Amino acid sequence: MNRRLRTLALALAAGIGLALLVVTVVLPRFQPHVFSGTVIQSQTPAPTVDLITSTGERASLSDFEDQVVVIYFGYTFCPDVCPTTLSTLKKAVDKLGDASDDVQVIMVSVDPARDTPELLGEYLGFFDPRFLGMTGTEAEVAEVATVYGVFFQAEEGTVDTGYLVSHTANLMVVDREGHLKLIIPPDATSDQIASDLDYLL
Amino acid sequence: MESIETAETRPLTRRPWFLAVAGLGVVLVLGAMWFKIFEPIQVLPRIRLAPGFSLTDQNGAQVTSEDLRGSVVLYTFTYAGCEDPCPAPEATMARIRDQVDTVDLGDSDVRFVTISFDPANDTPEVLAARAEAMGADGEEWIYATGAEDLMKPIIGSGFKTYFEPRDDGTFAFDPALVLVDGWGVVRGEYRYQTRSPDSERVLNHIGILGEEIRNSHGAAGLAYEAAHFFLCYP
Repeated sequence: MNRRLRTLALALAAGIGLALLVVTVVLPRFQPHVFSGTVIQSQTPAPTVDLITSTGERASLSDFEDQVVVIYFGYTFCPDVCPTTLSTLKKAVDKLGDASDDVQVIMVSVDPARDTPELLGEYLGFFDPRFLGMTGTEAEVAEVATVYGVFFQAEEGTVDTGYLVSHTANLMVVDREGHLKLIIPPDATSDQIASDLDYLL
Repeated sequence: MESIETAETRPLTRRPWFLAVAGLGVVLVLGAMWFKIFEPIQVLPRIRLAPGFSLTDQNGAQVTSEDLRGSVVLYTFTYAGCEDPCPAPEATMARIRDQVDTVDLGDSDVRFVTISFDPANDTPEVLAARAEAMGADGEEWIYATGAEDLMKPIIGSGFKTYFEPRDDGTFAFDPALVLVDGWGVVRGEYRYQTRSPDSERVLNHIGILGEEIRNSHGAAGLAYEAAHFFLCYP
């Protein structure tokens, strides 16, 4: 009888000890990845992007099969938001180390009137030569922006006097399977972006 | 002589550590099953990105997808020239608008937007007349349309709603209601081909969205992400 009680007490103590260990040490390691962006469980492929790249040829999303693609809508004359976001992205991609080969950053121009492929290439080269620019006719760009939930509009001015373009500044992330997976707000840090991308790789 | 049970001779199933681990495993598995079966938290799926747009409303003012960011928005699509018998999700929309005050959305609010796919005929004046007939005030519920060449990308590709002009100037279209959250993500689609969208169901879904918005921070936020993970959809 005594022995039985002792066994029971031992089992109970061991159980509580184990539960404590699991909760404090083991579970945190299995914690699900918490995305800083908003996850979309879309089962349909990401909308098509088929535009002229900064290297001069035509490319579409399917050319980046098996890569994680980060799509950003911006323009080269952009005074503050775009350079900040692009340098944050550059830092995030660098943090991935060798894995960054599997990430393709694309900036689609919301200012096709001024952003030629050459200009886009030169501009993105300041941040990271691996970043790819994309542009097209006004109509082509408008269609791509629309389906990616991006609103953009040129403000007062002409090509000669210069003008600003208001635009949605979110980052869209397409996973290796070609599904639109994440929307990352423009104020995300490079650590947050790197951790989200790392998880998707 | 009494036989003595030692750790070596005792069967595995009676050793304390084994019982503890097995018990823990059972509790975890049962917990996950309970969550999935009884769905203590329900969420609406994050279906896809809603389109970005710039439209002109019935007052001639510009309204963009960025203006609506942060609000829950219910969309319908039609054209002012649509005459009886015209499939009218706007009537369902009006019923939802009348009852939406019963839903708690925390800091967020609900907006109603009816987009016309007939910009050639639906000038702000025409839209204003239609809006007045439907009881849309131009603030909470607006009527709007935009550039003709962007109607297909916005309504067709973005909201996945079919429309096609006929030769006689009328339109063929699939009436639909689309529910979009403050992030600009489509969370609900109600189409007449499958099941007539009743206002009760849409209101219920807006309520589920409200719960999620009010519980989007801290531990409760994690529980709601778990509900997404376990596909606890209504």
